[in-house]
Amino acid sequence: MDVNVPDARLMPATLAPPAAFSGRGRRFAWTLLLLAVAFGAVPAAIVGTGSSYLAQIAITTMIFVILSASLNHVTGTAGLLSIGHAAFYGIGAYAAALLSTKAGLPFMVTLPAAGLIAALFGFLVALPTMRLVSIYFAVATLGIGEMIYVVLLNWVDVTRGPMGIRGIPPISLFGWQADTLLSRYLAVAVIAVACVWVLHRLTHSYYGNALRALREDDQCADSMGINVERLKIESFVVATFFAGIAGALLAHTSAYIAPDNFRFMESILILAMVVVGGLGSLPGAVVGALFMIVLPEALRDIGDYRMIAVGATMFLSILLLPKGMLAEGTALGFVRRSFSRGWATIAGGMPVGWK
Amino acid sequence: MSNTLLSIQGLTRRFGGLLAVSDVSATIAKGELVGLIGPNGAGKTTLFNLITGFTPPSDGTVTFDGQDVTGRKPWQIARMGMGRTFQNLRVFPNMTVFDNVSVGAVGAFGQSPWRALVNGGAHSRAVSERSWEALERVGLTAQAGDIAANLSYGKRKYLEIARALATAPRLLILDEPAAGLNDTETAELADFIRRLHAGGVTVLLVEHDMGLVMGSCSRVIVLASGRKIADGTPEAVQRAPAVLEAYLGVEDDAA
Repeated sequence: MDVNVPDARLMPATLAPPAAFSGRGRRFAWTLLLLAVAFGAVPAAIVGTGSSYLAQIAITTMIFVILSASLNHVTGTAGLLSIGHAAFYGIGAYAAALLSTKAGLPFMVTLPAAGLIAALFGFLVALPTMRLVSIYFAVATLGIGEMIYVVLLNWVDVTRGPMGIRGIPPISLFGWQADTLLSRYLAVAVIAVACVWVLHRLTHSYYGNALRALREDDQCADSMGINVERLKIESFVVATFFAGIAGALLAHTSAYIAPDNFRFMESILILAMVVVGGLGSLPGAVVGALFMIVLPEALRDIGDYRMIAVGATMFLSILLLPKGMLAEGTALGFVRRSFSRGWATIAGGMPVGWK
Repeated sequence: MSNTLLSIQGLTRRFGGLLAVSDVSATIAKGELVGLIGPNGAGKTTLFNLITGFTPPSDGTVTFDGQDVTGRKPWQIARMGMGRTFQNLRVFPNMTVFDNVSVGAVGAFGQSPWRALVNGGAHSRAVSERSWEALERVGLTAQAGDIAANLSYGKRKYLEIARALATAPRLLILDEPAAGLNDTETAELADFIRRLHAGGVTVLLVEHDMGLVMGSCSRVIVLASGRKIADGTPEAVQRAPAVLEAYLGVEDDAA
């Protein structure tokens, strides 16, 4: 079709990028930097100090990175406010704990099983609730979350109720056991990085654009040919799958889980990570998790005042940066330029789309 | 009737006791530029929603490109090639101009999480190129990376059209595109729609602005009180007594 619009084809000239954006090295620079921190600096610090406390924080951070990144997928990107994320985390943890302690299954089986069982519950919850919008959906997830918590607490025959489950074997793979601090951390880090990578590919793509369109105006997305209901269910299932994976990691690294690990407050903590980091921003979710886990620990010296400091920091960060520490728009541009996910009309041009 | 793109037969919609659309039948042939007009409350929006699948009809059928699409969901109808814009500007405000348009292309090419994970390069390239092409057609390529909410009102109108074009529609339905535009902007828009049509797009223009419809469309359908009261060339419609009475009656020179 030949429609000559006057100012079309302006682009190649005006899009010509500053030289700084065209380097291929930059793409790998960021990826390498992140991998160097996760697999170089942190392990070096754990080995160097020999501190189990440090290792425990590093492991907790990685688990919460998965939780925060997965909640961001459904709540930040797709716009479905879920305040029951911890319940799916709990389902994954109990699935892994019971499958390993009662059925004697190895980590290689309990890890994916925990994800799939949590995702199955996610699917069953999503089916009837997908027509609900905004706060109504949030209240539904709150109800489901509380229900799951109460079941974990009171179904004593299976979950041992408030006593929790003890003696969950550590992460193991083909006979190798993650029984040192370092190996435990590394195993969790590898899995967390893999989870974030999957969410990164889903978010930073045209599939991700479709998810963002749902959040912005689902009726309008519908009339563009987007299967809105399927997409909502998919995003919830993906998020609950990764919450389940995070639960399995908790079970296998702490050897003991109890219903209290999965209370409503945990859901709120995860939600706070997403909001402080930047709703819809995957890098933000990672930074938010880091911030909310590391800050209270770093402030240990000031004793009871630390929670006040954490609360005040959250309050101020939302006040000053309402779109989060790494706002979605900034994060998308950053990922397009620095992780080689962007599509540009001309080679080396400023990327606008996704590869 | 292989040349018929859209055919509606006896379309009726009741809301409680109110008959919003009553037994409306019409056809649109491939390559036409048809206007749909009517005074406020005539049932234009309801008819629009019946055609695009947002509201199920109480009675009657909608046939698109030879297939009965009555009762199908909006996304299914959109994917068959019916693109639309909204009366009250509904761009995705926090997404960039390019990402807005890409949603139309994703709708047309289909969405799948697997393609985002593995082996989706060809699909992404197709979406990228289709989106860029749509931006070129409306002349918004220079704003491709801007956040949609920051565009001027007029440009957001063109963004909506580009997003609909990215679905590669065989029928493009524009819902009051001139609403909120001044005379100069309306004239530019009319020009743009005519060129779009000359480029081979079948257009149904639902409008309030008589000048735009009478000046651009080869055929005009007039709705009043939920019924079709005229269907013909702009000249014939303007002279039809029923139209004069229902719509143009008070003005002698509405065109």
